Amino acid sequence: MSEKIIEIKSIAKKFGLFEAVKDVSFHVNQGDVYGFLGPNGAGKSTTIRCMLSLIKPDSGTIKIFGKSIFTDRNEILSRTGSIIEKPDFYKYLSAYKNLEIFSRLSRVSVGKKEIYKMLDFVGLGGREQDKFSSFSHGMKQRLGIAQTLLHNPDLIVLDEPTTGLDPQGIIDIRNLILRLKNEQHKTVILSSHNLAEIEIICNRMVIINKGVSVVEGDVKALMNNEDLVVRIEVSDKDKSKALIMSQYPNIHITDINETSIELPLEKSKISELNKDLVNAGIGIFSIEAKRKLEDYFIKMVNA
Amino acid sequence: MIFIKSIYNEVIKIALKPRSYLGIAAITVLVGVILFALKSDGMSIISFVTSSFEQTLSFEGNVLNGNLVAFIILQMLIVQIPLLIALVTGDLVSGEAAMGTIRMLLTQPISRTQLLLSKFIAGGIYTLIVIVWLGFMSVIMGKLLFGSGDLMVLNSDGLVILQEADVNWRYLGGFLVAFLALFTVSSLSICLSCFTDNSIGPIVTTMSIILLFTIIGTLDVHIFDSVRPFLLTTHMASWRSFFEDPLPIQDIKNSILILFIHNILLISISIYVFNKKDITA
Repeated sequence: MSEKIIEIKSIAKKFGLFEAVKDVSFHVNQGDVYGFLGPNGAGKSTTIRCMLSLIKPDSGTIKIFGKSIFTDRNEILSRTGSIIEKPDFYKYLSAYKNLEIFSRLSRVSVGKKEIYKMLDFVGLGGREQDKFSSFSHGMKQRLGIAQTLLHNPDLIVLDEPTTGLDPQGIIDIRNLILRLKNEQHKTVILSSHNLAEIEIICNRMVIINKGVSVVEGDVKALMNNEDLVVRIEVSDKDKSKALIMSQYPNIHITDINETSIELPLEKSKISELNKDLVNAGIGIFSIEAKRKLEDYFIKMVNA
Repeated sequence: MIFIKSIYNEVIKIALKPRSYLGIAAITVLVGVILFALKSDGMSIISFVTSSFEQTLSFEGNVLNGNLVAFIILQMLIVQIPLLIALVTGDLVSGEAAMGTIRMLLTQPISRTQLLLSKFIAGGIYTLIVIVWLGFMSVIMGKLLFGSGDLMVLNSDGLVILQEADVNWRYLGGFLVAFLALFTVSSLSICLSCFTDNSIGPIVTTMSIILLFTIIGTLDVHIFDSVRPFLLTTHMASWRSFFEDPLPIQDIKNSILILFIHNILLISISIYVFNKKDITA
């Protein structure tokens, strides 16, 4: 079994009367690219800020590398690199100078050569002496990643790193995260409100909504393509329901409107059901299959 | 070691911020204007002051010398210098919050207390540079342009004449106390800076407090008598005590003590607030 790098248990945080985080628990194993998924305002950033000691939670425990963030903060942060929301640097300083300033606060010795190498690694080679204020959003994001990686951390926390990037920028960041996982075996936490992004990059994930961690687990298992919710638009809804109930007695059928119903069904059984309905003389106008979690997440986001 | 590096970082940030040079530039321009004015028509100003004594005293030699010029400059500018200090130090914490760099700083393996103390020290270094520059522009440039001589100071007790050889150490003492007073202004603005994420607020509030305290200190109202000895602004003028004869040692010691207590209080409040602060910016 993999070593647990992060263990968060029942953290909660209130700002005045507003409960930003009510009850969030999850764990991240070594080598995970862990998705932290939730709609905007779900409490992702607050949870991440609690993890990095920017915000003190009202209750709960946070252990990183087996140590408490409240008592071993500096040791934990010396092994962690992070971008929270967006990388903000000193506008009046160059990319090089900005990295030099932050590298002085790390516990490893980072020289001029390493800074230049890192800037080159994130695609900012040749722009080292340009001021941060002259950078585009994508370049700022790359500089943020350079700062995150400069001291060779074991844990990398990226809070919405692709927000505001163009499609090529998004692909570059995704590829970079995958390189960090595959080539350098880093543990990465990736916060996002984009389910597709998490599905592409992450191996494990947690979904957080209204300050509560709702579901946690393996991305492949949670995003199981076989476990679907099927919406069928038919000519005779009552006859269809009766037919389905006779074949699948324990199934829960939801009425959507006058002509549509929704039911959970395995992918392999969709064509069989289609055939049965047609044979019973029921007209089928449409069949739409959605993955359960995707459906759940979309409902959550739209709520 | 990381604390030393953090102090270095803070000094570098101040040094590379264009705003930091406003204070130096302002002193250069203001002192330049005063020096020019005194060089052009200084004697008529001096005559206006000495005329009331001319029936009992006769003035010989270089009355308008570098020592007197420096004294006049200090007396005129010491009120403006806190603004120049607060302009830079009031931004040290809240400016990081406004820019968003506070998130980056506070996710580095340095404690909040160390980070904040490094800002206080950097603010102190900046204050020292400003005061040294003021000293250079007033005392050194004054002596270069007007020559040296005995210092004639008019205070509430009358006219005090200090021998030329007796002046330099008084300037040194005066500048040290002025530095301590301005460092207290720096501490006040950094402390206020810990309460907000707004860059301008602490600068304006610092100046408002100094203005308010100055008014309280100036108003001859009985109700303020008990608070006046503890006001920062009362002790900002303590540098003048070095130009009295005999030297009011007890008053100077008292001012130094009160300024020290102010600094300890302001730094302690800042550390408490900064450590408790949730970084939501």
